[in-house]
Amino acid sequence: MSGMNNGLNPDDPTVVAAFRAALLHQGVIALLIFAVLSVAWVSVRAQPDGPRPEGPNGPGRPLARIRAGLWAYGEPAGRQVLRIGFGVLWLADAVLLAQPGMAAGLPSQVIAPSAVTSPAWVQHLAVWAGNAWSYHPVEVGSAALWIEAGIGLWLLAAPRGTSSRLAGLASLTWGLVVWVFGESFGQIFAPGLSWLSGAPGAGLLYAVAGALLVLPDRTWRTPRLGRALLGGLGVFGIGMAVLQAWPGRGFWQGKSAGQPGTLAGLVQSLAGTPQPQALSALLSGFGSVVRAHGFAVNLVVVIALAAAGLAFITARRRAIGPAVAVFAVLCLLAWVLTEDMGFLGGLRADPGSMIPMALLAVGGYLALTRVPAAEAATSAAPAGEAPADAAGERWRERLGPAAVRRSLTAATFGTMASLGAVGVILLGAVPMAAAQATPAASVILAQSMNGAPNAMDAPAPGFTLTDQHGQPVSLSGLRGKVVLLTFLDPVCVTDCPLIAQEFREAGRLLGADSRRVELVAVNLNPIYSQLGYIRAFDHAEGLDTVPNWHFLTSDQARLRQVWRAYGVASQVLRAGAMLGHSDVAFVVDQRGHLVQELNFDPGPGTPVTKSSFAAELADAAAQTLRSA
Amino acid sequence: MRRARAAKTRAAAGLALVVLTAGCGSSAERPAATPPPKPTPLSLATSLASAGTAWATIPMGAPSGPNQFWQLFRLTSPGGRWALKTPGGVATNGALVLAGPGKQTLTAGIRPSLDLGFSPVTVTRDGGGSWSSLPPEPGFADVPDALAAAADGRLIALGQDQAVQAAASQRASWTTLTTPKALAATAAGRRCALAGLTAVAYTPAGAPLLAGTCGRAGTAAIFTHQGRTWRLAGPALPTALSGQPVRVIRLSQAGGRDVALLQAGTGASASLLAAWTGDSRAWTLSPVFPLSGAHAVSVSSGPGGAVAVVLSGGRGVTVDGPGAAWRRLPPLPPGQAVVLAVPAPGTTDLLAAAGSMLTAWQLTGQPARWTKTQTVKVPIQYGSSSGS
Repeated sequence: MSGMNNGLNPDDPTVVAAFRAALLHQGVIALLIFAVLSVAWVSVRAQPDGPRPEGPNGPGRPLARIRAGLWAYGEPAGRQVLRIGFGVLWLADAVLLAQPGMAAGLPSQVIAPSAVTSPAWVQHLAVWAGNAWSYHPVEVGSAALWIEAGIGLWLLAAPRGTSSRLAGLASLTWGLVVWVFGESFGQIFAPGLSWLSGAPGAGLLYAVAGALLVLPDRTWRTPRLGRALLGGLGVFGIGMAVLQAWPGRGFWQGKSAGQPGTLAGLVQSLAGTPQPQALSALLSGFGSVVRAHGFAVNLVVVIALAAAGLAFITARRRAIGPAVAVFAVLCLLAWVLTEDMGFLGGLRADPGSMIPMALLAVGGYLALTRVPAAEAATSAAPAGEAPADAAGERWRERLGPAAVRRSLTAATFGTMASLGAVGVILLGAVPMAAAQATPAASVILAQSMNGAPNAMDAPAPGFTLTDQHGQPVSLSGLRGKVVLLTFLDPVCVTDCPLIAQEFREAGRLLGADSRRVELVAVNLNPIYSQLGYIRAFDHAEGLDTVPNWHFLTSDQARLRQVWRAYGVASQVLRAGAMLGHSDVAFVVDQRGHLVQELNFDPGPGTPVTKSSFAAELADAAAQTLRSA
Repeated sequence: MRRARAAKTRAAAGLALVVLTAGCGSSAERPAATPPPKPTPLSLATSLASAGTAWATIPMGAPSGPNQFWQLFRLTSPGGRWALKTPGGVATNGALVLAGPGKQTLTAGIRPSLDLGFSPVTVTRDGGGSWSSLPPEPGFADVPDALAAAADGRLIALGQDQAVQAAASQRASWTTLTTPKALAATAAGRRCALAGLTAVAYTPAGAPLLAGTCGRAGTAAIFTHQGRTWRLAGPALPTALSGQPVRVIRLSQAGGRDVALLQAGTGASASLLAAWTGDSRAWTLSPVFPLSGAHAVSVSSGPGGAVAVVLSGGRGVTVDGPGAAWRRLPPLPPGQAVVLAVPAPGTTDLLAAAGSMLTAWQLTGQPARWTKTQTVKVPIQYGSSSGS
């Protein structure tokens, strides 16, 4: 998809190593968060003068207390299924996000394919999201993992009360983010929309589950919620059945004009992806069945979806149980046969939409059929949570050491685990926000292509050449400033314009420091060395208004001297080829010493790589300024 | 009662969703607007010849994109061998425009391509042995006659934005001579209802000459710059063509005369017409050559005002000069790109490119047939313009 290529290989070893290191460091911090919370909790509770709350969370064996904290006995069954089910799913998603290729590969392997058939405005959103990720692949990749892990832990740890509803809110919010930016709205705006290919998108289902968990406890204590949830699923199922049955969409044909039909084509493409042999064989077999009996297979799907949908809408107790069972089985079959379990067909960030959909159906069924009795007292003040203090107590007192100790003493294991989970979410969210606030891409992209800069310490060979204004410029005359030096061909059709743009952007990134930095390029072309070419190049690249930019040229003999002194090669090639030359940049410090050499091959020249190279240059200059 | 109402609401919502989702799968059919037919652009592959020396430029390598490199070949004497003379130091992905062939001299402009946004200009005075740069042009137009050189070294160019640039000498910078808007506002431009420019040239006396398309039927858009103003200087067309739109597709100078190739009419009724100026600046017209549904692909010029045209469908025609008739050529040998050359009166060569291989053919015998005379393997640097 145009605009989505970040120029990175998903398995790029530099990015993979940096991603692993980031996960390791943040993993240690996550463990520390839990360790500190555990120590604080245990030590406060162990103090002899500490208050001893009574009830299921009071004195007793530690395991019993933990069990009591995690499984509050009064939680409605439907809510419990959704909370635990989606908590586990978020954790599974986090595990998938830890795949080595995820940091560099998510934009091109996950986001772009989901948007490719969607309308232009959806593609624009996807490109924006892909670029936001690509600019900081390691930071954002690891951040997404910790956010999802944190939400999963929070859902599992907080069975009820405000904390549990906030966990639901986190699931709702992040689910929508994933659905809109990562899944391109589950492709619901794409012409090939089908339940079998994952519509309406897992992210939306996670968000729906989150929204249900946000609802107050009393909502779960009547059958209306279950009826509404099943009704919604029923309407959705019938809509999907109609789409599945709609003529002209290719689902009725196993094959058409020698080509596989829509469903057969989908299964065939899944079977061709790298995965365990047994599953591949199963998919190939199913693909053959669909090709041979496309009409019958689609008929079964249409009838099953429509029947389950109707049963859900009517919500008749006798029919709803078997309907949920049929729907769950259908979801499982589709999960294996048309979604490839969501994560086996290449790089995937979630296990697909079928398991969440089945969970929603089961949750709705339980909410309809197993309604608990109203719990007036406990729902107002959930057991184990810090009791509300008297009204009028000042907030300073509520946050004071005594109050914190009181809260810690009264807290359950679930409360502490929830606090830890929030810490894990922040562990991801804070670096992600910081990365997004940084205008330049991470330097890891530049270094993954060209390696890290080489440190040097040698006097920079001097030269005096003519700048674009026709004025002589010597390197010694720039002493006292940091010089970023490169060699460019003014009539180059690929690399040099990119390098020039990266130099211009580096100057911008340096901000006020750019007054102490000079951006210098030496002409590399022995034939096109006139000032007119230098000026034309500057004008084309928007450098004619950059005050600290000097593009230097001279006669061939003098230019060759400079090239030799810096070990830069240039070769006139035959048959209409561009000048052959090396792409290199040097950092010269204020004393006139070469301190860094950067291999500066600009790669594919995407906005992401250009920004990364500019950031690398700006970092090198800033570091040299600091070390003076 | 409430339950029944809720069921109705759900049913209505379901129906709405069904209708909405059904709509997702189908796309509304809209009648496609038919754009007006555009003239098929002429290839920049061409050749020009003077005093027994011919130069030809032709695209080689890939059919398009960053691996297509335009090459320049030179033939030092009729019946001799073509040699690769592509100027070095700059990528030629954007095509070459050629001007002013002398025995040893040729000026070449390189069209913008990829990330190169302007046009380098280079000149050889030793038959392509060495090249030196001239001031860059803002960007040549995508036409074969975008550059012309006067005998005294002045240059004139047609830019991508249709502005006409001029350089007072080979070392001077380019300045804008006129624009289509300014030209259209002159008396001559109004009379022609100028629609666009397609070529620049110099008269043998050194006056700038511009050509293009008039909005007014039957008028050839050729303008000359005299006494600080532009005058319509094209030929008067035969009465049979007076109602036809006329486009000047080539304009050059050869053998002390201006040579223009005009296309009159469009589609199946289009025809070609060559025109030459004489000593008195009066135009001599060739017979009308009906294209019969074909179109001109590439046009070359030769000494004495000869014009050679590659037509679509693998056909070719030539006309030797004023007073001569159009001569149909035997079916042209195939090639990814094909260029005709007329190195000397009565001699016709053909260059056919396929990938890195150039094959030269010569028209020999009676009845005339193509004889392969040479193959040249060009060392194309694939990937050199594709970035890293």
